[in-house]
Amino acid sequence: MLWVARMLAGPMLWGALFSAVYGLHGLGCALDWPDRATPFGPLHPGGMILLWLVGLGLHGLLIALNRAGGSDRQNLLVRSGNWIGAVASAVTLLPVIVTSSCG
Amino acid sequence: MTEKMHPIAPNPPRKALLLHRQMQRVWSDLPGWRGAVCSVNHSTIGLRFMATSFLFFAIGGVLAMLIRAQLATRDGAFLDTQLYNQIFTMHGSIMMFLFAIPMLEGLSMWLLPKILGSRDMAFPRLGALGYWCYLFGGLIILSSLLFGVAPDGGWFMYVPLSGKTYTPGINADVWLLGVTFVEISAVAAAVEIIVTILRLRAAGMALTRMPLMGWYMLGTAAMMLVGFPPLILGSILLELERAFDWPFFDILRGGDPLLWQHLFWLFGHPEVYIIFLPAAGVLSTIIPVFARTRIMGYGAIVAAIVGLVFLSFGLWVHHMFTVGIPHMALAFFSAASALVAVPTSVQIFAWIGTMWAGRVELRLPMLHVIGFFVTFVMGGLTGVMVAMVPFNWQAHDTHFVVAHLHYVLVGGFVFPMMAGITYWMPMISGRFRVRALGEAAFWLIFLGFHGTFFVMHLTGLLGMPRRIDRYPDNPEWEWLNLVSSIGGMVMSVGFALFVLDIAMQWLFGRRSHRNPWKANTLDWAMALPAPPYNFSSLPSPGRDDATAILPLARGEGLLPGAPRPRREVLVTDAGTGRPDHVAVVPGNTALPIWTAAALGSFFLLMLAGLYVVTPLAIAAILWAGWRWGGFMGSRADAPDIPVAPGLSLPEHWQVRQTLAYSGTVTLLVADGTLYASLLFGVAFLTVIAPNWPAPDSGLGLGALLTAGAALLAMALATLAARLAETWRATPSGMGAALAGVLAAGLALVLLGGLAMLLDDPRRHARDALRAVLLGYAVFHAVVALMLGLRSLCDARQGRTSHQRRGAAPVWQLFQAFWLATSALSLGVVALQEIG
Amino acid sequence: MLIGSGLITALVLTLAGLAIWRGPRPSDERRWIIWWGLGFSMSVLAVLLAFALWTGERMIARDDGALQVQAEAQQWGWRFTQPGPGGPVVTEGVLYVPAGQPFDIVLTSRDVIHSFWVPQLGGKMDAIPGHRNVHRLMADAPGTHEGLCAEFCGIGHAAMRFEVVVYDPADPPPFVSAESLP
Repeated sequence: MLWVARMLAGPMLWGALFSAVYGLHGLGCALDWPDRATPFGPLHPGGMILLWLVGLGLHGLLIALNRAGGSDRQNLLVRSGNWIGAVASAVTLLPVIVTSSCG
Repeated sequence: MTEKMHPIAPNPPRKALLLHRQMQRVWSDLPGWRGAVCSVNHSTIGLRFMATSFLFFAIGGVLAMLIRAQLATRDGAFLDTQLYNQIFTMHGSIMMFLFAIPMLEGLSMWLLPKILGSRDMAFPRLGALGYWCYLFGGLIILSSLLFGVAPDGGWFMYVPLSGKTYTPGINADVWLLGVTFVEISAVAAAVEIIVTILRLRAAGMALTRMPLMGWYMLGTAAMMLVGFPPLILGSILLELERAFDWPFFDILRGGDPLLWQHLFWLFGHPEVYIIFLPAAGVLSTIIPVFARTRIMGYGAIVAAIVGLVFLSFGLWVHHMFTVGIPHMALAFFSAASALVAVPTSVQIFAWIGTMWAGRVELRLPMLHVIGFFVTFVMGGLTGVMVAMVPFNWQAHDTHFVVAHLHYVLVGGFVFPMMAGITYWMPMISGRFRVRALGEAAFWLIFLGFHGTFFVMHLTGLLGMPRRIDRYPDNPEWEWLNLVSSIGGMVMSVGFALFVLDIAMQWLFGRRSHRNPWKANTLDWAMALPAPPYNFSSLPSPGRDDATAILPLARGEGLLPGAPRPRREVLVTDAGTGRPDHVAVVPGNTALPIWTAAALGSFFLLMLAGLYVVTPLAIAAILWAGWRWGGFMGSRADAPDIPVAPGLSLPEHWQVRQTLAYSGTVTLLVADGTLYASLLFGVAFLTVIAPNWPAPDSGLGLGALLTAGAALLAMALATLAARLAETWRATPSGMGAALAGVLAAGLALVLLGGLAMLLDDPRRHARDALRAVLLGYAVFHAVVALMLGLRSLCDARQGRTSHQRRGAAPVWQLFQAFWLATSALSLGVVALQEIG
Repeated sequence: MLIGSGLITALVLTLAGLAIWRGPRPSDERRWIIWWGLGFSMSVLAVLLAFALWTGERMIARDDGALQVQAEAQQWGWRFTQPGPGGPVVTEGVLYVPAGQPFDIVLTSRDVIHSFWVPQLGGKMDAIPGHRNVHRLMADAPGTHEGLCAEFCGIGHAAMRFEVVVYDPADPPPFVSAESLP
């Protein structure tokens, strides 16, 4: 059953990241963060982009650390799961760099 | 972990007929009315679910025809507005909650044990309880229509319209209480389906080679487990607001109507995929049969299911694109909504590839599959269109969306279900169908459907909004609506013919021979019509396809016959399918219907506003719940049961990882989701809702100390529950159980004391949420206390031994869950007080 | 978008039809799953999504001094406030806006949720009690458009109509002006 956990790790990470970024977005807009600046750029988009990049890094780590262990089909499913999570995080959170945050 | 299992030697062959008679004695329903009330067998319950849901489908269809009659002309004077509002609300609610969900529950209950190679579902009584809850809840909802007090706020019941101010009558309460009652069956079914798929598969059927239907239903059930709790929570909160004026959605006191929308769509969008996945499972099962080949891309389809299960929880806000959420948030959900089309497309092309490789026989089920392709592809594409924010702003809440959702639901559910029903009818009835009727029904439904809904896209693009009953100033919409209405009538005739076809097959069809479609899945490895026990002996590793039919009937498989007069199933390891133990599942009993009646009395009393009398109903529920536990223990250690030559396995009372244990873990996932949704509600209102911060709270040191003491008592009870199991073979076990019960009881009393210290929940949403957090803890206190008492009884009555653990493992789970959630609640309140 | 959807539908159904009505042929899993299932769908969706995000980003309301009008919804009618020469002008059921310039409409509700929609002007936006939603629209030419409530709001929902009068900014009706509210 360990391979099932490994298969679900990618999508789970997407779920956590998606909730975290969405939560941060809601919190930021409610507390008027977009107006606040930090030395590294505006706080709100900056925070979300940072979180997103860290998440993508974790996805990359998940994919890089993946090694074949079970049957062919198990390996295929684990690999697919990892990639599903990574692509989902990359695409669904892409708006943090292309849209305006609280408008 | 290897995929191959050691072969298990076959049992010696015996006379199939003798085995059949032996099994029949143990597994049959009772004759006459007692059978109607006491049956728990999965085939009976599954068929009942499907038949009842079809009845509700017919009622929902009649309501749809009333809607179409009203809209056929622009000044429709057929219905008055009030009745019209009730009718479209009921049409949507019935089709979603009383047709689609029960239909898929019924199909999976009926089919899963057969296709996975078992004799019953994991929790037969739970299945029956679910059915009765569904039936009673459905009847409550339906009767409101007869009395003219049906829900009338639209099937998604937006507040404040559905709040007490704007819907003072009982209408909204019917929806909230009725649907919640029915959803008990959905959660029960989800638990049952997951445990059945993971633990009752044929020996040696590893997860990676189980029939795709198993994967689809596993995904569906997982989504139901996580998808329904937000709706249940939302309904509870809204009912609390309506009944007791706790302001979760009232902006003046720190509530927010958008909280309802989030909770509703957090359920509502996954719901669409909950409905689609089983249908896709049917397609993946029958397309290869009629293409005379194997399914293409098993691994890709499983991956697609995993992707759908997760992604579908990232879409809910696309129903809320016009509520004024910032564009970036909309963009997240828009992107997720587009992405979710990818796994769907993978499946569609896998099916096309499968048919490409084979020679397709256009039998009746395949016609419905074609109906699916045409309809669903269009629905999916309009879905991608409405997922795009700018287009959505135009199409939202118009007839375009109505057309889209009917393409998706009828294309993605009704056509595949009709394919499935016509495919499995020989197994249900044991007969072939009568010629030509089914084809005529298909064409009428198909043409009628597209006649109704294709033009409706245009009606919507021309600006006709949903849910209006007349449009005197818009003559340009009239001919389109008339076409839709005529199409709808044609479709109705088609559905009537479909029912007639089923009835004719049942009554006059020629006897079917075994495996009429030459399928290779296990469900066809049995005589037709399917006997209640499915298999005289259970499939052994490597022999789990339809060719095993004769050896299985002759008792050459595992656990042959019923030498002990009780219902035995083989429980296997979740991943590999290695045989683990033998579980005895309950036989005919009236307990489920009594329990459902007790639950029903609670809901009816709430509906009637007789809150003072509800403790009686709660007592009845507790009594029924107590009776359920009686089956879960045994008074003596039994020798291992011979399963095959050289293989004997223990009874389930003598192992720790029982079905009940797995079921409890699964149930706690749903419970945890409900709690997480509640925390989401707290966070959402705190951050987003107007009229915060709340007024100063009256909570002080006294409340903190009481809560701390309660937590301490819970922790002690958790420890005692653990010791009760560790010391089960000694007299100290009973002492530990007693201590645990006392500690849990003390915690319950302290929680009650805490309730006295809380601020008036009617004052502000924060105070109301705190009261709900406390109520959640009290509810779990009662459950943990019941389980503790059950463990104590086990110890006193000698139902525990070194091998038998009684209820203690399950008690520990609940105890730990109660402790963890209560500690978290205290933390949240403390944070609010500091912040 | 409609045409594209139609083409894709035709393409997929043709493939399905060929698969059903022509005899068995070698069928490569890689081609169907990777190329069609993943590649084809993802490229179409990427283009569509990029276009939608870009359009959506241009449509949102910004603080650029555009004309602002207010709409307050209640069961079952609309009250509009627009700038006039002598201060705000309140009208029932009729909204006056100038042609050819973007304007923001500020939406609030006194009771339940309603939704402001003028099909010929563009997308809709909800009016939610306790919330203040700003929606940007533009009318190209003078004329009269029909508007309606798009979110179900009770018995009077179907009749909750209003009218938008788009005037030539050079020649405004005497009681309104094309300047922003102070």
